[in-house]
Amino acid sequence: MTTQEKQIRVMVVDDHPMWREGVCRDLAAAGYDVAAATGEGRQAVRIAAAARPDVVILDLQLPDVSGVEVIQGLLEAVPGIRVLMLSASGEQQSVLDAVKAGASGYLLKSAGLSEFLEAVARTAAGDTVFTPGLAGLVLGEFRRLAVEPPAADGATPKLTERETEVLRLVAKGLSYRQIAERLVLSHRTVQNHVQNTLGKLQLHNRVELTRYAIEQGLE
Amino acid sequence: MSDSAARARGLQGPLWRAIAVYRIVALVYVAILVVRNVQEYERPMLAWPVLAVTAGWTVLTTYAYADPARRRPVLLGADLLITMGVMAASVWVVGRVALEHGKPTLAVAWHVAPVIAWAVAGGRRWGVLAALAMGATDLVVRAHYDQASFTGTVLMLLAAYAVGTLVRLSETSQIRLQRAIELEAATRERERLARDIHDGVLQVLALVKRRGAGLDGEAGELARLAGEQEAALRALVTGPTASAVDDNAEVDLMTLLGPYASATVSIAAPAAAVRLPAKVADEIAAAVAAALDNVVRHCEPGTKAYVLVEDEPWEVTVSVRDEGGGIDAERLAAAAEQGRLGVAQSIRGRIADLKGTVRITSAPGQGTEVELAVPRASIG
Repeated sequence: MTTQEKQIRVMVVDDHPMWREGVCRDLAAAGYDVAAATGEGRQAVRIAAAARPDVVILDLQLPDVSGVEVIQGLLEAVPGIRVLMLSASGEQQSVLDAVKAGASGYLLKSAGLSEFLEAVARTAAGDTVFTPGLAGLVLGEFRRLAVEPPAADGATPKLTERETEVLRLVAKGLSYRQIAERLVLSHRTVQNHVQNTLGKLQLHNRVELTRYAIEQGLE
Repeated sequence: MSDSAARARGLQGPLWRAIAVYRIVALVYVAILVVRNVQEYERPMLAWPVLAVTAGWTVLTTYAYADPARRRPVLLGADLLITMGVMAASVWVVGRVALEHGKPTLAVAWHVAPVIAWAVAGGRRWGVLAALAMGATDLVVRAHYDQASFTGTVLMLLAAYAVGTLVRLSETSQIRLQRAIELEAATRERERLARDIHDGVLQVLALVKRRGAGLDGEAGELARLAGEQEAALRALVTGPTASAVDDNAEVDLMTLLGPYASATVSIAAPAAAVRLPAKVADEIAAAVAAALDNVVRHCEPGTKAYVLVEDEPWEVTVSVRDEGGGIDAERLAAAAEQGRLGVAQSIRGRIADLKGTVRITSAPGQGTEVELAVPRASIG
């Protein structure tokens, strides 16, 4: 990354001080502008509103509020903000909930430094970062939605055959480059397919939340 | 008495109400008999005060037994003695001659109430004791030793025994249920705490692994060890822990596959449980284990493997892909012909038993993929 370009502003949210400092150091060394760092979810939302980072590196397990709440707060405070989740335990349901709430990528904390930095770069560039595990969760979620009785307006999100194919290969650990080779697609197309699957899930989640809010008379 | 025992006692409420109702109904019966037979009594005028005592004691016990705190030996003893007293009064009121001719006592039927009260309060031993005392009094008072009299006493004895046994039984099961509920709550709380603690430990291990990754010698080795332990602990804490009761009970396939996750093995699966009969899940897990074992045996150390579990309404698909060297199709076919695909054969055998299919694809430089598909229909 060259410093001539506009530096990417990153915020680190993690309640583990040593981990937080380490991540900040790694990011600064890689040329990012570490705009803020905090260990609490509510504070993170307040700080983000002022510091306006481009990317948030978010630990999914914070002491005060759930990951879903932090993500919703961040997206409200800074529309267009990109959230890369990190999780130590990889607890499946919370990862899935966070992705549905609007996180754009997910990485286990056990990932190596180069893997981590690549994920941050891709998140900053607007790409989605999927682990094989997350791809498996998203596949499972679409299948769950498919067998559930459809909502009143019948708007059950569905994957196209190609999207399912791509997602399965991601879940089987193939890189986007390998998938592109195997399916004879461009790298960009593979990336778009993955992004679309996430987009459909997040849109469905927003529609469901709105429906719920209207039903409960909160609107 | 422990807390749970006290709560179990609280469940006796309906039984005590039943005794009160019985006593009242029996009182009405006694009153009707007195009105009908009073002319034949030896001392008719004395019948009314005794009936008044019977009615008074009925009202008093109805209120007294309603409060669990008052169901004490003193009240129970008084209940038994006063009932015996009313019965004994029959000797003077009804008279020897009338009693011997089969006229009922002034406490007929009513005298069973304290016996059942003893059985409920103290179990079958107390119940039998009270029944024997009451039965003896009855026989002595009536001095009418025929089969019918004995049958009444024996019936009372059996009733006391049965009620006492039932009360103990319901108390024990209530206490057991209570303990099970408490245990479950404690387990859930422990799991919640464990999740927090494990998260902290995982963070530190991941940190050590990452900071030490670039170092040489011992520090690098420590980092590698931390990484291995991190993966092992993560697999342990994220895996569900239910186990099957028998072969036909359903289990979550992920319970069996979860432990295979490691620094080199990634497992992708739906968030919800993948429910399968225990026997089927065992076979699939064994096939996956064989496939992973094959990766370790034939690929270079540290070769990554990816397991994907897909749960569809009609079938369950599990694929195991490795990033090893792979082999070309010709060699694969040749090996199969020569029967050198030992592991593949064992996988095929297990899955064929489940009426499923196995697909093995491999190409040089692209690793090997084993895909197992087991139809749910055959699982039934």
